[in-house]
Amino acid sequence: MVEKEGKIWAIGGGKGGTGKTFVTSAMGTYIAGKGKRVTLIDIDIGGANLHSFLGISRPKKSLTDFFEAGASLNKLAVKTGIDNMSLITGDIHSLASDNIKFTQKLKLFRHIMKLNKHYVIIDLGAGSHNNTIDTFLMADKKIVILEPEITSVENMYHFIKNALFRKLRMSLREYGFKDIVEQMWERREEYNIKSLRELIDSIRVNFSHVGDIIDRELSDFKLCLILNKIRSSDDILIGSSMKSIFMKYLGVDTKFAGFVEYDDSVWRSVRERRPFMLNYSLSRSAKEVEVFTENLLKGKEIKLSRN
Amino acid sequence: MIMSGKTLKRYFEILELDSGASLSEIKNAYLRLKRLYSTDSIVITPIADEFSKKRRLAVLHQIEEAYTKLNEELKDEHQKSTHFGNSGIASKNVSEGEEADNPLFRGDVLRKIREKKGIHLYEIALDTKIRVEILENIEHERFDALPQEVYLKGHVSNYARYLLLDPRKVADDYISRYKTWMADVKKKV
Repeated sequence: MVEKEGKIWAIGGGKGGTGKTFVTSAMGTYIAGKGKRVTLIDIDIGGANLHSFLGISRPKKSLTDFFEAGASLNKLAVKTGIDNMSLITGDIHSLASDNIKFTQKLKLFRHIMKLNKHYVIIDLGAGSHNNTIDTFLMADKKIVILEPEITSVENMYHFIKNALFRKLRMSLREYGFKDIVEQMWERREEYNIKSLRELIDSIRVNFSHVGDIIDRELSDFKLCLILNKIRSSDDILIGSSMKSIFMKYLGVDTKFAGFVEYDDSVWRSVRERRPFMLNYSLSRSAKEVEVFTENLLKGKEIKLSRN
Repeated sequence: MIMSGKTLKRYFEILELDSGASLSEIKNAYLRLKRLYSTDSIVITPIADEFSKKRRLAVLHQIEEAYTKLNEELKDEHQKSTHFGNSGIASKNVSEGEEADNPLFRGDVLRKIREKKGIHLYEIALDTKIRVEILENIEHERFDALPQEVYLKGHVSNYARYLLLDPRKVADDYISRYKTWMADVKKKV
């Protein structure tokens, strides 16, 4: 598994359009500006456009070359025009992405880890596809982006539950309890299981010997939450609420790293083909990006004055 | 009462606070969480069908316990603690739960009836979608903190219905006292 250096960050969260790509590019720019080396990886399947947020054209080589021709990641990385920061693009839709085998994903991850001394920020894109989830699970920091909208909340629950389900299934399998999750799920009517929470609880009851493993896996699954496009200070409460529910309902420990307000300069930057953090470095939203990025670097949470 | 450090820490965790948070932080966290788990909102609605009422009640009880215990524990240090607003009529002559022929469905009487039936306010809140704070204010007859008469009447009726009382009788009685209060307020202005 990944060493707890905390330098590989994955940005996910389910719904499209919540600002994953924006957050990835803005955080990367900020960290690179601090003199640290950063590699951004865009694996937004079918919608890779991180380059546009940086104002550069689509890189010619992509991870397809890594998977099919064994090209090294260093060869795929292109300059971004920002010191210390390079970009690798996924563009995985060109090969049937469903066919990326788990071993290939592991290989990719091994190579990512070899980019040592780099911060690697991976833009996962939307959806709860297995490829997305597996990458998310392997990262040191699992960052989710939420917009204060019910659709975004809904998709985020879906994403987190899928990730948790997959993690439990895979780790129980690793410990040699191959079919417990599947068995329990197949007999869900008999046991009156309607949710992931109930599934976890009944595995605990009916297979008490794996209780420890479940506890460990749950406590190992930590999230960082960023709230994007808020329109009022009341919206900030949604971040605290999600954090609370993740813990009290799913048992998932979450750090609420911070928020960014809705800001038209974000799309204006894309249109002007200039990185937001450089173009609008003095704006309030740029400061907010700095705050949550610092929190992520230090493993801290945002301090809310009224709580 | 001396609480072990571990228990204390757990109570702080339930309220999602660092150990050593102040009394006012404790109270704010308590109010925030109480509202979160007893009302529908965009963070609850998407999982409302699976995050069952029973589970939410269990969470609410935990929050309640943590708050009560932390308050007891820390009250000695701070003299200023919770206040019990008692703007209602002095409570003499409260016959325990004589629903049928007690003409006065005062807030405190209603509360006694509810407690006798072993019903928690949270259950009513989750079922009627009336916020817990409002239900508390109804029971304490904090008229100044209650919504306007039309809404209040609906709330009191729903509350009464949950306790299997005659909603009309209860509401009429309750509202009559609210009106007296209202008239007094207007006189003073």
